[in-house]
Amino acid sequence: MRFWASVILALMMALPAAAQAPGATRHVAAELVADHQGLAPGGTIHVALRQQIQKGWHTYWRNSGDSGEPTRIKWTLPAGWQVGEFTWPAPQRIPVGPLMNYGYEGEVLLPMAVTAPATARPGDKVTLHAAVSLLVCAEVCIPEDDALSITLPVTAGPAPVDSKWAGPIAHAFAAAPQPAGLTATFQPHGPSVALAITGAALKGADLAGAYFYPFDATVIDHAKPQAIEGGKQGLTLTLTSGYAFQGGKAPPTLAGVLAFGGKAYEVAATAGAPPPGASGLGPPAAKGAPGADLGLAAAALFAFLGGLILNLMPCVFPILAMKAASLAGHGGESMAARRQGLAFGAGSIATFLALAGGLIALKAAGSAVGWGFQLQSPPVVAVLALLMLAVALNLSGLFEVGTSLQGAGSGLANKSGLAGAFFTGALAVVVAAPCTAPFMGPALGWALTQTPAAALTVFLFLGLGFAAPFVLVAYAPGVLSRLPRPGPWMETFRKALAFPMYAAAAWLTWVLAQQAGPEDLAKLFTAAILVALAGWLLGLRQRRAATGGLTTVTEMIVFMLVVLSVTAVAWPENKVAELSTEPYSPARVAELRAEGRPVFVNYTAAWCVSCQVNDRVALSTHAVAQAFARHKVAYLKADWTKRDATIAAELASHGRAGVPLYLMYGTHGGEAAILPSILTPDIVVKAVEAADKS
Amino acid sequence: MRLHRRALLIAAALLSVAGAAAAAPQIDAPAPDFQAMDAEGHVRALKDFAGKVVVLEWISSDCPYTAKHYNSGTMQKLQKSARKQGVVWLTVSSAAPGRADYFTPQAALAWRGKVKSAATAILLDGDGKIGRAYGAKVTPHMFVIDAAGRLVYMGGIDDRPYADPSSLKGAKPYVALALADLKAGRAVATPVTAPYGCSIRYGAAGGF
Repeated sequence: MRFWASVILALMMALPAAAQAPGATRHVAAELVADHQGLAPGGTIHVALRQQIQKGWHTYWRNSGDSGEPTRIKWTLPAGWQVGEFTWPAPQRIPVGPLMNYGYEGEVLLPMAVTAPATARPGDKVTLHAAVSLLVCAEVCIPEDDALSITLPVTAGPAPVDSKWAGPIAHAFAAAPQPAGLTATFQPHGPSVALAITGAALKGADLAGAYFYPFDATVIDHAKPQAIEGGKQGLTLTLTSGYAFQGGKAPPTLAGVLAFGGKAYEVAATAGAPPPGASGLGPPAAKGAPGADLGLAAAALFAFLGGLILNLMPCVFPILAMKAASLAGHGGESMAARRQGLAFGAGSIATFLALAGGLIALKAAGSAVGWGFQLQSPPVVAVLALLMLAVALNLSGLFEVGTSLQGAGSGLANKSGLAGAFFTGALAVVVAAPCTAPFMGPALGWALTQTPAAALTVFLFLGLGFAAPFVLVAYAPGVLSRLPRPGPWMETFRKALAFPMYAAAAWLTWVLAQQAGPEDLAKLFTAAILVALAGWLLGLRQRRAATGGLTTVTEMIVFMLVVLSVTAVAWPENKVAELSTEPYSPARVAELRAEGRPVFVNYTAAWCVSCQVNDRVALSTHAVAQAFARHKVAYLKADWTKRDATIAAELASHGRAGVPLYLMYGTHGGEAAILPSILTPDIVVKAVEAADKS
Repeated sequence: MRLHRRALLIAAALLSVAGAAAAAPQIDAPAPDFQAMDAEGHVRALKDFAGKVVVLEWISSDCPYTAKHYNSGTMQKLQKSARKQGVVWLTVSSAAPGRADYFTPQAALAWRGKVKSAATAILLDGDGKIGRAYGAKVTPHMFVIDAAGRLVYMGGIDDRPYADPSSLKGAKPYVALALADLKAGRAVATPVTAPYGCSIRYGAAGGF
């Protein structure tokens, strides 16, 4: 009611301009208001253009984003009077389909400084006229013009403040970006630009939701999300470059507004290396997100449990089972068994810490990475596939590593046995890493938002959990004596265990097929044959070792074959352009939600085992498909098989460092429901029904 | 492989459209090919115009920026002078069915008659395929393709991002200048500018 009253008032006060049909429905009520009831000769006060915008409509900021037009004002002033430019309060992001606008909804005040000439005569009443043209948009856009005026008395001394508007105008200035002496640089990296900002205003601040609004419409792709990486002195935003970066060019500056947590600061970045302390702390934790307020103790506990569960992963179990079996025959040599257990534990913990160190270093270098990052690089996947194949061939008996299995016992106490146990631990971690067990998601998500020391602690507990069962077996003579005695059956057992390893190699090959082209697959298969040939030659040599002859030559051939096969697969980073058919984007989610549809987002990756299991046992079932159809659920898939800053940022905002993550957005707004990491059709169906009701 | 495809199939079925994703096209790279029905029912493809300069112009029948250029007659004038030089001018509507400015063939023909468009054809891109391939964001968003099929200009029609018709006076006409550069055998002096106008109202198939 009040709104329409003010619209009518505004219409009466402001003569509709020629472009406007008389009596046309207006969507913005515009007026001029002042923070003082007049001003003295030579004095300066503030006048604001107040816009009351109809619900569902918006007007624009100084950079309107992908479409639209900023509000303009043209003054007609008596001689000697001056009016400054608008001070623009920090805008809102207004997504329109796949596009992004920057503007205002509801009510906004755009203040300007008004200065009277020293020659103004006290007692006069001066009327200042302004022609305002603004564009107001919802689904359609309508230009609205207003002829406004404000009458200010000239007073002998400073005029009293206007009790109604002094507060709101002061508030508008407070909401406007402040100069804060921030240091900022930008560096183009392919299709993105890293904007690094440091300064006292950012040090130790909660940078969750930080966003850069550029002044110029050509420097960034407004609709793309901005990944945030915190640092000790500031932050680094990964932006998608705009038209101004076409053809390898770059604009001289990247100027705009950095907004976070209700504050906004002016930023003017020049090209150059990032200032120190602009990154290294990972994405800031979203407020209230699960895992965000997880304490270090809880994170360590989850990490420990996660580590325990990793022992059961199909690619890890064969290695551990063989190692445990080899201990079995040495119940008497408990000291030796213990040493083996400790060496294995040291190997796996060291590897976990090395991976954590690598992850922290990569994050410090500005990469948007998360757990499982090692599997986003095709060469690493290919080398791992070859490693799995080599282990499988070894288990099949094609060749032996070090001492033979039957002789393993005699070597238990010697150095090479210990080194073997250490590397078994390392190998087990390397192959286990992608199997992010459900318990590890929140713990690692938390770890990566913390200081490096806290992150390393979490990874340490992960390693402890992982090593615990094996060390326990080595230390508990009771368990050891209960393990079956070694004998010919072990040879059969070992050969059977080769098959999970073959499966692991096949799975990694499938992951590679998602990431690379057919040529790369051909290279991998060639390399696999070379590895098999090398294994066979090695076995041949081992069996003939007693008779001597040709050993050095054979060793050299084996060595060269292995080098050749690894080189073949460790080709340079795959340069194929991003032409994926990934249907997920935050803008799309917003659009679907605006249409009132429930939205299900599946954050997944080809190399994520639990994701594939969930796809098969829950998401691909008839029950779920029917529930989705019945409630018209939009199913978006965020594929993290390859590195993706957008998805990494989204995962981080929900307190996760890895996939899977399942979000169910309800039809009536609010936060998304987070589904468990292990899905059943029932869980999904219930979540869908709850989302449609909520 | 099968799992992956199955998940995609479900996603596609539920969205009832495949999410087409493409990056913004690059200047001096071959312009993305397309094929679409025009208002008269002819199928038009970019490759049909090989050897000719092609202008793509995005419009919306209810957008004040499109109206600014048509009500003043500047757009029609540019279309006529371009076509006299042998340039092919394709006007594109990417508004999705259900949007107020969606073009059925009849609506497109009626609009053409009303504004007296001098374009070669009006392409009906209701599924947004051409718009997404070119990263078209607003109406008007302009693209110029040279005789060799390379994209040589993209951006605004001029340097005045205002709906106000008085802003036309003294504007720097980027598209006219690009066409003049091509005619004179020069490289286009300003190949990329900021487009301005109303958001294109795409249908529900994801982003760019």
